Amino acid sequence: MLGLRFAATWVINLKERLPDMYAYDHYDHAIVNARVDEFRDQVKRRIAGEISEEEFRPMRLQNGLYLQLHAYMLRVAIPYGTLSSTQMRKLAHIARVYDKGYGHFTTRQNIQYNWPKLVETPDLLDELASVEMHAIQTSGNCIRNVTTDQFAGATPEEVDDPRPYAELIRQWSTFHPEFAHLPRKFKIAVTGASKDRAAIRWHDIGLILKTDKEGQLGFEIVVGGGMGRTPVIGKTIRDFLPKADLLSYLESILRVYNAWGDRKNKYRARIKITLDDIGEAEFTRLVEEEWERARQTPLDAPAVEEARIRAMFTSPPLEVLNDTVAEDFATDNADFKSWLNNAVADHKVPGHGIVTISLKPHGGIPGDASAEQMEIVADLAERYSSSEIRVSHEQNLILPHVARHDLPTIWEALKAADLATANVGLLTDIIACPGLDYCALANARSIPIAQELGKHFDDLARLNDIGELKIKISGCINSCGHHHAGHIGILGVDRKGEELYQIMLGGSGAEDASRAELLGRGFPADEIVGAVQTVIDLYLDHRADREETFLQAVRRLGTSPFKEALYGTG
Amino acid sequence: MAKKLKGPQIILSNRLDDGRVQFLTKDTSWSFQAHDAWLLVSEDEREAAMAAAQAFVQSNQIVDAEFAEAELTEAGPRPTHPKYIIQNAGPTVRRDLGYQSEGKAA
Repeated sequence: MLGLRFAATWVINLKERLPDMYAYDHYDHAIVNARVDEFRDQVKRRIAGEISEEEFRPMRLQNGLYLQLHAYMLRVAIPYGTLSSTQMRKLAHIARVYDKGYGHFTTRQNIQYNWPKLVETPDLLDELASVEMHAIQTSGNCIRNVTTDQFAGATPEEVDDPRPYAELIRQWSTFHPEFAHLPRKFKIAVTGASKDRAAIRWHDIGLILKTDKEGQLGFEIVVGGGMGRTPVIGKTIRDFLPKADLLSYLESILRVYNAWGDRKNKYRARIKITLDDIGEAEFTRLVEEEWERARQTPLDAPAVEEARIRAMFTSPPLEVLNDTVAEDFATDNADFKSWLNNAVADHKVPGHGIVTISLKPHGGIPGDASAEQMEIVADLAERYSSSEIRVSHEQNLILPHVARHDLPTIWEALKAADLATANVGLLTDIIACPGLDYCALANARSIPIAQELGKHFDDLARLNDIGELKIKISGCINSCGHHHAGHIGILGVDRKGEELYQIMLGGSGAEDASRAELLGRGFPADEIVGAVQTVIDLYLDHRADREETFLQAVRRLGTSPFKEALYGTG
Repeated sequence: MAKKLKGPQIILSNRLDDGRVQFLTKDTSWSFQAHDAWLLVSEDEREAAMAAAQAFVQSNQIVDAEFAEAELTEAGPRPTHPKYIIQNAGPTVRRDLGYQSEGKAA
């Protein structure tokens, strides 16, 4: 498919499109529409009893359709977390028509619907296809949706925009026949920024854009990161790969993994285990050896194709502004000032900002948005952010290109929709998986713990005093809630029918990635908030000064004093 | 599927066309309410009930069937493990959703 695409770029007829997003060409439309038709037929045959569940399961999973506790669940891909207003409105429409009026934004920058009916799923997918979306490769042992920095193309911190590369990887990996049946699922993340907002070192492959001594663009290649029951921080197997060689090198890594990965034991099947088994040096040698062969074949994207993709990610034409409208409004409005300081990041164009919309109202469900909220965000993006929205792996939404003088108006609209909680990056900006409230794999509920923490720590002044603190909650060892990377990680476990919650400290998903350390036995649900309060109190009592963050303090103090405080033992 | 569990059990499944949770009743039909379920207290009952449930799997009316530990209450059988309690009632974080919203949960 990719070869065909390269050979025929001259016939591509770009439709009217947004300045800063990839637009499907006729190949994209054709393959997505064909997949919808194929799945419609598969569902029809399943309902008619022509195929068994055993036969049907891989078919539905390849289209993102799971069966969970209460109903089917559809996971929709949001490529590298980027949405247009039109697409967000379609997601709202789907929530309303095919689901129960809401969706759940996930730690993979995707959205999940919790209640679709099997018989209606083909129509749902058809609606998605009409706005250039799908659910392909959101499940199964294949290369999953590529993720990236939610501030990509807007932040002043990056050496290059990672989205064109993410799109290139999306095209390369979609229906890649050699990698359709990998030993296990495979996740790739890309960033171009010095500050890691994409948990790069926790992915099967993490790509960090950088320049070499000659100023050439390329990638640091990180391999073998992952959470789950064996948390591992990825290792750099190549300090610098010229960007033109990206696909052949990725292909080589995948080939080595495909050949050496464990297919007998699924708990040993991720690339992190393969790399550990073979050894980093030997794994790297195998990849480099394979790459010497692979780079001789036409795997890498021709410059013309890269240019075609890159041309779709031109930044919107923003003028430099130097008004003080937002600052003036903030002088008379403490709530707005708090939100401005918390939720608005610097944009690469002076006078503009990147707005993070918290989907973590205190007491709410992390990552959930109602159809009405989605439509409000879509409207705001259309009016104030070049019709573009991002989804972060921390389960928030982003308006990436906002003029600062529009911030008061945006804040008012968000506030009216319960979307202006100024807790981004603070204790209550909690990642939580769906947990046992929805998930068939979970051992314990996650969301109620996040809700109780949100209610308990609902004082913004107190939250700001505590400072940056990332709590991440998983309802089972599969770690969809990223508890291993939490400054405070919470893992729900099942002990003879009782939900218990273990606390771990010191994890990080940022550029200083680290694995959280388990403190000890789990706490019952009604004690976990108190336990977190104990941890916070100890931090506040022992931080070197107000500048020392929670994570820095844990790293300086070690976990012993926290264990002592919680269990009475060092 | 036939995991040995201690004590009385019930059988539940997801309906094929929409995934809705339902419970096997003593007349080998299905109810959305756990308290209508057939409470299985002997190995013979377990085997007979699962055989009946599997017939629905074979006829493509349900996806699969599994046992869940249960207890007898005044209203009828009730699952005892959190997973099955939640499956019976709906998500604890959205009381407006699931079968609890219809006032049918046991």
